[in-house]
Amino acid sequence: MIEIKDLHKSYKMGSNSLHVLKGINFKVEEGELVAIMGSSGSGKSTLLNILGMLDGADSGEYILDGVPIKNLSETKAAQYRNKFLGFIFQSFNLINYKSAAENVALPLYYQKVPRKERQEKALKYLERVGLKPWAEHLPSEMSGGQKQRVAIARAMAAEPKVLLADEPTGALDSKTSYEVMDLIQKINDDGNTILVVTHEEDIAHMCKRIVHLKDGVIVEDKKIEQVRAEQYV
Amino acid sequence: MFDRDVWQEIFNTLKTNKLRTFLTGFSVGWAIFILVMLLASVNGMQNGFTGQFNDDATNSIFIRPGTTSEAYGGFEAGRRIQFKNDDIEYIKKSFPDEIEYISGRYFASATARYKAETGSYSIQATHPDHQAIEKTLITEGRYVNEADVINKAKVAVIGRKVAEDLFQKEDPLGQFVTLNNLPFRVIGIFTDDGDDNAERRIYAPISTYQQIYGNTNNVNSISLTYNPNFDLTEALEFSNKLEILMKRRHKIAPEDQAGIGVWNYAEAFDNISSFTAVLNGVAIAVTFLILIAGIVGIGNIMVFTIKERTKEIGVRKALGARPSQIVNLVILESIFITAISGFVGLIFAWVILALVGPNFQTDAFRDPSVELSTVIIATIILIVAGVLAGLIPAMKAANVKPIVALSDK
Repeated sequence: MIEIKDLHKSYKMGSNSLHVLKGINFKVEEGELVAIMGSSGSGKSTLLNILGMLDGADSGEYILDGVPIKNLSETKAAQYRNKFLGFIFQSFNLINYKSAAENVALPLYYQKVPRKERQEKALKYLERVGLKPWAEHLPSEMSGGQKQRVAIARAMAAEPKVLLADEPTGALDSKTSYEVMDLIQKINDDGNTILVVTHEEDIAHMCKRIVHLKDGVIVEDKKIEQVRAEQYV
Repeated sequence: MFDRDVWQEIFNTLKTNKLRTFLTGFSVGWAIFILVMLLASVNGMQNGFTGQFNDDATNSIFIRPGTTSEAYGGFEAGRRIQFKNDDIEYIKKSFPDEIEYISGRYFASATARYKAETGSYSIQATHPDHQAIEKTLITEGRYVNEADVINKAKVAVIGRKVAEDLFQKEDPLGQFVTLNNLPFRVIGIFTDDGDDNAERRIYAPISTYQQIYGNTNNVNSISLTYNPNFDLTEALEFSNKLEILMKRRHKIAPEDQAGIGVWNYAEAFDNISSFTAVLNGVAIAVTFLILIAGIVGIGNIMVFTIKERTKEIGVRKALGARPSQIVNLVILESIFITAISGFVGLIFAWVILALVGPNFQTDAFRDPSVELSTVIIATIILIVAGVLAGLIPAMKAANVKPIVALSDK
């Protein structure tokens, strides 16, 4: 599903150049649930940005579902993001003046899905994250966990190939964190490919594979025995 | 464009920035207010002009003989042209379908006396048709008629001022007034909307004066009206034909402007139309200059809003919004603000004009009003202004990197 070969990325900081990613190679198969771990400055955010087509790599290859991602125009990148990727952010990033259902329907709006169909789909995905009764509520009326579940529904609404979650539990207490992870595991059980960036060990162990980044290189890449979040909920 | 999602967004941004939106919208509304007032004033001036010219029939032509400035047809330059009664007959015969009314004019001045009162007045000796051409309004009695002309009757139609001056409180009708010591019977009194001076005039049959002054057939000038259904082009064409004909008849070089003067009111109207068109243009230009302040204001507020919404725009882009969709949204919002505030200004100006307008009724200025064309012009200007105002903020918004969605600041 995802294939990365010898990925390099550096940032110019004044006269210095900061080499953030120093040759990353890894592959993600369909249906995997991968945790990307590392301390801050390890390059995990940069890697996620590149995977999310929010930033370009200096050199190396990135192939997503058989499509090489390179030198994209803004418009093309927007199209690919819409088609291939679903984002789950640490701070949820819901649009505060839109109801839960409207937030979920937003990626479909950018896909030019007709309004009625958008609403139906939004309700379907809200139901899946257990928030159908909250469809008409604004984000300000919901708890952090609920907001993140709306965000997950939004990420899934466009039926992307890969879900990218950037510290999805970063802003949540441990109980709600496990609820969210439980949801992510269930989505993964349905066959969705998910990448989770996190620095929390327990969250990482709820995935099926941990990729450890340090100073811009992968220092460890192992499959693990998944800890089900259900038992903590 | 008529997407609920888009409008929801626009209303939300406006709602959260009510005061800011109002203040910047005000400058646009103010500019449109000025535009409408200016255009209405031009309109009022136009109405004033038209009103003044309406005093004479607007389809009238005056022909005056002059002195040739070029040698032509065997004659030397400097020859005085003299019209005769024949010329009137000739024109009538040449344009039987085009001519509505035609009259010769013979100018004189006279000292008029009635009992002890005397006064000096200008005399216009005319044919009966002259009444229709000058739109002379008879208030009492009648105008000069055919019989008067045939009989060379010594009758006079006097202006309201003349009647006041000479007859004071007496009824002038049927009385005899002496003009240069010849008695003329007063057969009518007229008024004139145009001006008081016109009411210090005395009309008499043309033949009478031709006889008094040397028994000639001389005519000082010819006035006529043409078919009132002619449009401007036809009217100008007709007066050109008339000029050519008269020049040929009197052996005047075709390009000689001094030999004969043909004065067509249609030309004056043509001039007024182009004059007011220029004024309209100036009004629009001035407005646009004033609008620039509003455009900058709205552009400014929107750059602000977009800065505040950077993260949201980033999220949208991460979710697949194309740059063009973001640009459209911003431009539409800008047009919306300018259009709404502009129309408020428009309605405000319209209300004021409706209240105050009827009180302006002078000669040069009357009935200032908002016309449909004004509304259309204002709308076009507003949309252009809205696009201009939205341009820079839209570019800002388009340049927002979706990466900001990930940064938690």
